[in-house]
Amino acid sequence: MKTDDLIARLAVEPPPQPLRPAVMALTIATAIVVPTVVYLCVLGMRPDLSPAWSNPVVPFKTVLPLLICGLSLTLLLRLARPEARPGLLPIGYIVPVASAVALWVGAYILRAPADRFAEVGMGSVAECMGGVLSLSAVPSLVALRALRRGASTQPGLSATLAGLTASSGAAAGYSLFCTRDNPLFFVTWYGIAILVVTLLTARYGKRMLSW
Amino acid sequence: MQQTEDPWATLLVAANAGDGQAYARFLIAVTPVIRGIVRARGRSLPPDQHEDIVQDVLLGLHLKRHTWRQDHPVRPWVYAIARYKVIDAFRKRGAAIHLPIEDYSDILPAEAEADPVHRQDEAREVERLLGQLDPRSAEIVRAVSLREESQATVGARLQMSPANLRVTLHRAMKKLGTLGRREDE
Repeated sequence: MKTDDLIARLAVEPPPQPLRPAVMALTIATAIVVPTVVYLCVLGMRPDLSPAWSNPVVPFKTVLPLLICGLSLTLLLRLARPEARPGLLPIGYIVPVASAVALWVGAYILRAPADRFAEVGMGSVAECMGGVLSLSAVPSLVALRALRRGASTQPGLSATLAGLTASSGAAAGYSLFCTRDNPLFFVTWYGIAILVVTLLTARYGKRMLSW
Repeated sequence: MQQTEDPWATLLVAANAGDGQAYARFLIAVTPVIRGIVRARGRSLPPDQHEDIVQDVLLGLHLKRHTWRQDHPVRPWVYAIARYKVIDAFRKRGAAIHLPIEDYSDILPAEAEADPVHRQDEAREVERLLGQLDPRSAEIVRAVSLREESQATVGARLQMSPANLRVTLHRAMKKLGTLGRREDE
């Protein structure tokens, strides 16, 4: 086809709806919140939530994943435009990652050797991993679908961020159910679950976001 | 650059509001610039494919035209899409280029291919391998590679054009190489 003919054909198509990052953010946030709320309604929050939060370590279980989720969502929306660059925002990941490492190391030093990995067992790990992984599935897919309307020129990075947003959001929600407050347990297994979802989403999402 | 002064921005604002004529003018205005980008990056591809890539970029701009923010400069947006689509197009096409060897007859190394023959020590062995070629090719190899006559002399004697001679010689050497290897195994 001649280029002039192509232009003539494109010019008669109706104009598109503009990209609305706020709508995209709302869609992804809803996709994280709704499965979490359903999960907590069916299985219930941990009964001792407010007394547990008086232990200064416990809020980190929720706050650190939330930080990662917010940061990733912001980056994700920024990169939905073709000319966008990540800028200095990724430096922000230092805060949650360094806090998680500090919690892990601190708990390792302070706890008695027998106490360190006492919670680790087939049942507890399966519950934690299963919870975060299953809560991540819907938001990962919704985030990828929503992003297809954007035009990321770094589809691999955008897909990675979609997985990170979904899984850290899911981990934050799951933490309200989870009763294991040992950082050696939750940093490790939340971290692994987040990593697994992120890698899977990156692997399969890259092609979805290429255009 | 103030985007209000950019004619591309003015046109695209009107286009995204539904003005088809403005949209056509926008696409016509960006096309030569995109052609330039494709030509600058596309030396490794035959020029007849360049226009396909230009159309890929135009289609990319069309499908993603809602991702431009009207309060932002339009050119970085256009260039980002062009860069993305051009790199993508070259990656897709880069793997599938096959060119006939005749196109390279002028730049093919004429004598650097003598190795397969030297691998066979004895002259008798060389003759036996040459016997498996057609007589004309065998004579060219004997004259150019063994007796080291100039290609011009051989070409004149056998009444062949220099390009034709080089191609025939190149193919004969390749065949000898395969024959020699097959017998080595």
